[in-house]
Amino acid sequence: MDLKKNRWQPWLTALIFCILIFGFTVVTLIKSPLEFSETENRVLAQKPEVKSEAVMNGKFGAEYEKYLTDQFVFRDDWIGLKTSVEKLLLKRESKDIYFAEDGYFIEKHTGCFTTDMARRNITALTQFIEKYNEQFGTGHMTIMVIPNAVDILQDKLPPFAGPGGGMKYLEELAKALPEDVWFDAASILNQHRDEELFYRTDHHWKTLAAFYVYQAWVKEQGYTFPNLGDYKIRTVTDDFQGTVQSKLGIQTAGDTIELFFSQNAGSYVVQKDDSIGYSIYNYTALDTKDKYAVYFGGNEAFLKIRTEKDNGRKILVIKDSYANCFIPFMLEEFQEIDVLDLRYTNERLSNLIEKGGYTDLLILYNVSGFAEDMSVMKFTN
Amino acid sequence: MVFSSLLFLFRFLPAVLLVYYIVPRSLRNFVLLLFSLIFYAWGEPVYIILMLVSILVSYTGGIFVGHFRKTGKKKASKTALVVSFVISLSLLIFFKYADFVIETINKFPGTYVDAWHIALPIGISFYTFQTMSYVIDVYRGEAPVQKNLISFGAYVTMFPQLIAGPIVRYKTIDEQLRRRRETISQFAEGVHRFMIGLGKKVLIANNVGALWNTIQAFNYSEVPVLTAWMGLAAFTFQIYFDFSAYSDMAIGLGDMFGFRFLENFNYPYISKSITEFWRRWHISLGTWFREYVYIPLGGNRGSRKQHIRNILIVWFLTGIWHGASWNFVAWGAYYGMLLLVEKYVLGKYLKCLPDIVRHIYCMFFVMLGWNLFAFDDMRSGLEFMKALFGMHGQNLLNRETIYLLYNHIFLLFMCIFGSTELPGRIGKWFCGRLSEKRIIQSILKNGYYICVFILSIAWLVDASFNPFLYFRF
Repeated sequence: MDLKKNRWQPWLTALIFCILIFGFTVVTLIKSPLEFSETENRVLAQKPEVKSEAVMNGKFGAEYEKYLTDQFVFRDDWIGLKTSVEKLLLKRESKDIYFAEDGYFIEKHTGCFTTDMARRNITALTQFIEKYNEQFGTGHMTIMVIPNAVDILQDKLPPFAGPGGGMKYLEELAKALPEDVWFDAASILNQHRDEELFYRTDHHWKTLAAFYVYQAWVKEQGYTFPNLGDYKIRTVTDDFQGTVQSKLGIQTAGDTIELFFSQNAGSYVVQKDDSIGYSIYNYTALDTKDKYAVYFGGNEAFLKIRTEKDNGRKILVIKDSYANCFIPFMLEEFQEIDVLDLRYTNERLSNLIEKGGYTDLLILYNVSGFAEDMSVMKFTN
Repeated sequence: MVFSSLLFLFRFLPAVLLVYYIVPRSLRNFVLLLFSLIFYAWGEPVYIILMLVSILVSYTGGIFVGHFRKTGKKKASKTALVVSFVISLSLLIFFKYADFVIETINKFPGTYVDAWHIALPIGISFYTFQTMSYVIDVYRGEAPVQKNLISFGAYVTMFPQLIAGPIVRYKTIDEQLRRRRETISQFAEGVHRFMIGLGKKVLIANNVGALWNTIQAFNYSEVPVLTAWMGLAAFTFQIYFDFSAYSDMAIGLGDMFGFRFLENFNYPYISKSITEFWRRWHISLGTWFREYVYIPLGGNRGSRKQHIRNILIVWFLTGIWHGASWNFVAWGAYYGMLLLVEKYVLGKYLKCLPDIVRHIYCMFFVMLGWNLFAFDDMRSGLEFMKALFGMHGQNLLNRETIYLLYNHIFLLFMCIFGSTELPGRIGKWFCGRLSEKRIIQSILKNGYYICVFILSIAWLVDASFNPFLYFRF
């Protein structure tokens, strides 16, 4: 054996290895940490402080690992690489997200409907309705829980992929509630399932889907309902990379966001804390990653909207972010709209309803959001 | 701390390598000891005291045993052995089995004792077996006394094998602790071994483990037969790729610091009998029990009755070593029985069967064994086993079976392929063919390892499913 000839080989291996581990070590050490990830739309973990107590109970160790993972160099590219490889190896899902037809990325929401919280939330909502049903009276209280993409776009799921658990949960919910408060948004969306109802890269429904549900709701209540032709539809971006895309880290064709402007809408005032605004749209959000925040600039704990209408209808909307693209349609119908997001408020709901003098009440959530939302318990406050 | 983490790869490992190779040779065991303590303390700061006590006990035990042995006081030497043995074992039993015993007592009507809720110190089963092996080796005269507390501490705590094995018997490493020469070729070998281990853990074991997790969460009375089998196959692969990956990484890291650890897995899933399987699976544990329990009990020498007794004792202990729970006892007993049946009844018939049949026979029972192993709660384990044989009256398959299968087809193929000797053979064949073209060979080889490494990092950064399976050991 000519060992001599071979002598450089182990040196090469050792060298490559050292470059890899020392290289990444140095780069991760000198890289200044980011506060916030635009792509993932969340605050990133920061370097934990060394405190003797935290070190002794292992908390420091755990937090440091989280910090290292969150702040790792080229974080988005690593995640994108992983997703690309999984796609290449014929996987049709990653991280509980289906790689569906027509470029849709659809979250599976597995398991979130069978938790204790999902069941408790049904009970909490039922109790709330029982308490207030009489006060508002038939036709003035509506509960809309919107199914997610996985429940509606079943034709687009990968072959043999099972349906989500959302529809079953909606049935349970409908059964637990009095018939006259439940609005069946799922069947409206199902009628239009071939249209663009959901974003391809985001977990929200599109403005068009919100319109169909709004139209059917007003129609059911017996008021004059709008038609699609009544609106001027403006596409305000074609480069929306939503929350689902962020989880996967791969670049895809962007989504469009459409805003619907009614021909017969008047002006209105939006009051948030002590400041007054004249638009529900925040166009600066279109220059950021979180473009869905074009509606109201994102989720607010409490908003008051006053329109030019003079019909005395005053509604309280208790909602999650699915309502953000739904509320604009309501401007044509109500004199006052108060918008409450239970996730961000600690005010007692019963106080608010007592003081508010509302004629109507709308509860609007998306189904997986509702099942997973801790703050639904606040309905019993 | 675990090997398959960014923290280990990009903080701990570079630091320990740097310091280890900068300091003079005489300090290297000290460096290893120090870093190993940090490694352990990262997740278990408090239990480090327990480990230090355990080290001191066997260190002193070894000195006494060796001293009495040298001065010809056989009885005193034996007493010292027994004392150190009892203390080590008591610590293990207390920290690992106290709550289990209490729970078992509480199952009898009319008794109630409050559980103590002792958190199991990670790796206690591994390091206790190592310290015990040392004192016994000294007693038997198979290893000299280690008077240097730092070297001894480095042996027990050595981070490559501290939390998930292999169990290194003292006598196999004594010489290396005293004088070893780190060479570049061993270092390079270690690098390759480590990267393969990392890839096996992060790319294969974790992913197939996620499949098992999915199927495990199903309702067993409705899960189709083929889905259940796919789930069990997933667990079968997960435990092998996970466990052998830890051993690969341990052996590779050992190589980087100039140690030679013995092999721990030798393609167990190509076995054609249960006996052969246990010669190939977790070899260091099997060897430990053989050397320190089975043979001292008389092995297969006495009567058949004694042999059966010895086998059953060893397999009861092997079972419960894997975790303080009845399913592990059942799992151990299951293998004890299988081995006896093979030895006394089936063995001669098996030999006449074609290889493929013997292979299927072996894997069938190994997989059923993992069914016992996977469920702490034996009732759900039984429900799952019923699902395997369609005893809930379920279908053979449903759309989900097909979906799961085609989504994981590549992974399952890699698992089967990776369980055989083929990848190694193909690698060797390639290298052989390219032996004249060293540069191409080197590019391909290192390119392959770099790819595995880079992909592993991608999976780690994404913080996907990355369990540590040996909390119970």
